[in-house]
Amino acid sequence: MKIGLGTIRMATITPDITAAVQPAQQQTAPAKREFPGALVVVEGIDGSGKSTQLYLLKRWLEIGGYRIHFTEWNSSPLVKSATRRGKQRRMLTPTTFSLLHAADFADRCERQILPLLHGGYLVLADRYIYTAFARDAARGCSPHWLRNLYSFAPIPDITFYFRAPLDVAVNRITAGRPKLKYYEAGMDVGLSLDRAESFRIFQGRILNNYDQMIETDRFVLMDGTMRVNRLQKVMRTLLADRVDLTRFAPKKKK
Amino acid sequence: MTPGKNSTGAAGSQNGRRGKSALKAKNGSATSLSRFYGTPLPGVDPEELSGSLIVVEGTDGSGRSTQISLLTEWLESEGFAVQTMGLRRSFLVGEDIDALLAENAVTRMTLALMYSTDLFDQLERRILPALRSGLIVLADRYIFTLIARAAVRGIGRDYLHGIYEMALRPDLTFWLDVRPEVAFDREFKKSQTISFWESGRDMSLSNDLFQSFIRYQSMIKREFEYLSKRHAFLEIDGEASVSKVNRQLRMKIASHLGIRSTHYRPSHALAHLWR
Repeated sequence: MKIGLGTIRMATITPDITAAVQPAQQQTAPAKREFPGALVVVEGIDGSGKSTQLYLLKRWLEIGGYRIHFTEWNSSPLVKSATRRGKQRRMLTPTTFSLLHAADFADRCERQILPLLHGGYLVLADRYIYTAFARDAARGCSPHWLRNLYSFAPIPDITFYFRAPLDVAVNRITAGRPKLKYYEAGMDVGLSLDRAESFRIFQGRILNNYDQMIETDRFVLMDGTMRVNRLQKVMRTLLADRVDLTRFAPKKKK
Repeated sequence: MTPGKNSTGAAGSQNGRRGKSALKAKNGSATSLSRFYGTPLPGVDPEELSGSLIVVEGTDGSGRSTQISLLTEWLESEGFAVQTMGLRRSFLVGEDIDALLAENAVTRMTLALMYSTDLFDQLERRILPALRSGLIVLADRYIFTLIARAAVRGIGRDYLHGIYEMALRPDLTFWLDVRPEVAFDREFKKSQTISFWESGRDMSLSNDLFQSFIRYQSMIKREFEYLSKRHAFLEIDGEASVSKVNRQLRMKIASHLGIRSTHYRPSHALAHLWR
């Protein structure tokens, strides 16, 4: 799919063959809307290498002087105190966990992502709505409910899905981190009393949920076990192929 | 079914359960609406919810809070244990929403989702346990206000119903309907001003506070008229006297709970509300 002028399809949910996911309601959101900007997303489980790759992509574009903006999941100061309180006291249920993250995302979407897309920026997002689909469904939220919840989000121009085998990804995380956090390890789901084991099972569920979306959400599959510099080269080529980067290039001086 | 004569706290939930069983028998023949609109909240068995959820909706100035106070006293004197809920009362995000509203910097979707977080936190951690124990839950506003407020700001109704499909369906939903002009008079008398959000000032409807309030409340009222049909509200004329509105509420609730006694005079503590 070649994208000419930053076509962002608002909330068009591709029908899912697995039936659990149904098209979201389209009452107010127009089916199609054009933005001069473009949205690039990386997704994948923890330890899949996505953040490293997006960072390198960002550096490449920054150094080249492109009009870009980087945004990451769960970074809005607006709902930070609530999220922290909820996590510290372990009072989040799958539903409130999901809603709080959606509120956080909505804030970023309405105050950053959408204005930047309207303003003609190339927006790079480290994790996007698919993180919520994969993770919150692994917690027991209804996939159909989740699709509706996030139907206000613009659909990315390209979604890179970084996939690494579960063992590789889990080892990358547990090796570098002394202690996994309660919600991070999915302890609230009650998968195992052992935190490392719980994390493994939880990540496995998330990985499965991601895999289900490859077709339906047109993920571009990236091999997270490839050498970093080679994978980055692939990523840059794919991006340039999908998105007309000249639109974001620095203006030449007359 | 004998009305509860014992009004100690311990007997409250007991009576609540008995009253409810009478209701189940009554409802079984008429309609068997599910306790949830759609998929129930994860991990909830609707069967174990023996209490009742009674919602009172209406704009600021409709007499909602007054009626909730009176109903609580009446139900407790009848021996029912009561739990209340309302907007921005969750431990999780209640105060955060207050802060967001004070700043006026929040966008509509974020606010809508913070409110839904607030509602579901109360439902999951306070209201469901209360209903499992057979309590009567009085809700001072519920999902309908949240849907109406977001809908007039351009968020799709179906989107909003989608979010709240996991919410508990109330046993009774009262709508205290008042004209915006009357609500304005009452609110102004009470607090000498009109709140920023209740007059929809974020929507740039008018620079004049009165005009803005009337336009905004009229929009909300239209949403409620639609919601009233969709969700079978019990509409009550909120412009009638406190005692008259209260009597109507008591009649409906008494019949729902299967109790005969609807007599009530407010105690000394609440007598000032009875006008």
